[in-house]
Amino acid sequence: MHIVKQLMVIPGVVAAGEYAYRGDRFSYEGALTDEFARMASILCRANTLSVNMQAEIFDSFAENIGCRPVQGWIAHGDQITICAVGNYFAFIENRDELLNDVMTIMRAKVGDVHDDLLVNLYAKLGGDTREALY
Amino acid sequence: MNLEKMMDLPGALAAFTYTDKGELQSHVLREGTELTPQVLDLLAHSCVANLAIAAMEARGWEALTGQSGFQPLKGFSVVGLEWSVIVDGNCGVVVKNRDADYEASFKAVQSA
Repeated sequence: MHIVKQLMVIPGVVAAGEYAYRGDRFSYEGALTDEFARMASILCRANTLSVNMQAEIFDSFAENIGCRPVQGWIAHGDQITICAVGNYFAFIENRDELLNDVMTIMRAKVGDVHDDLLVNLYAKLGGDTREALY
Repeated sequence: MNLEKMMDLPGALAAFTYTDKGELQSHVLREGTELTPQVLDLLAHSCVANLAIAAMEARGWEALTGQSGFQPLKGFSVVGLEWSVIVDGNCGVVVKNRDADYEASFKAVQSA
């Protein structure tokens, strides 16, 4: 079953979606409109890019400390939490054990995010991003 | 803030406190971990930035969409390849991903 559909059957998952690292496509299910899902995709892509940039800086101070490549991030709100793993995101209610369950499922289903993530995230900038970054 | 108590969280590798500007104030490191005080200091700076960005996004999201429940922000976590850092306020904990209990970690940093 597709990851988004699998997440949406869990009680307490408000919305879930997938976005292209390039930033030009997204899909979603749940309590979002097309415009809100587009905004959520932009927000998740921006934060993912930001935390990956931070991990590159950590790596320049101490190599192979276990941070890079970043797998995802969690923004824990008062009643809603946003989980992002790879290019998938989920908006979930703050219920007991739900965050741990959702993170376990997302990490298992998305799999390990590899080093090419930054190349894909930067792809829209044009040019030979691989050469520019590495 | 009891950092030793935070080291009892499942998979805890480090616990730390930092100033509002992100400078490392105090820390405890698990013996054998590759994390260093210098990395924790960088991590603390990034955590302050991430908390500020996420708080701004939560505020903007609620204003633009009319949805609620995002504010106030109760913490932020970055999930690395082997470990995750969980922060709120001026306190953070680094836990191994395979043992991580995110809910317990968020509760611990909130109450610290």
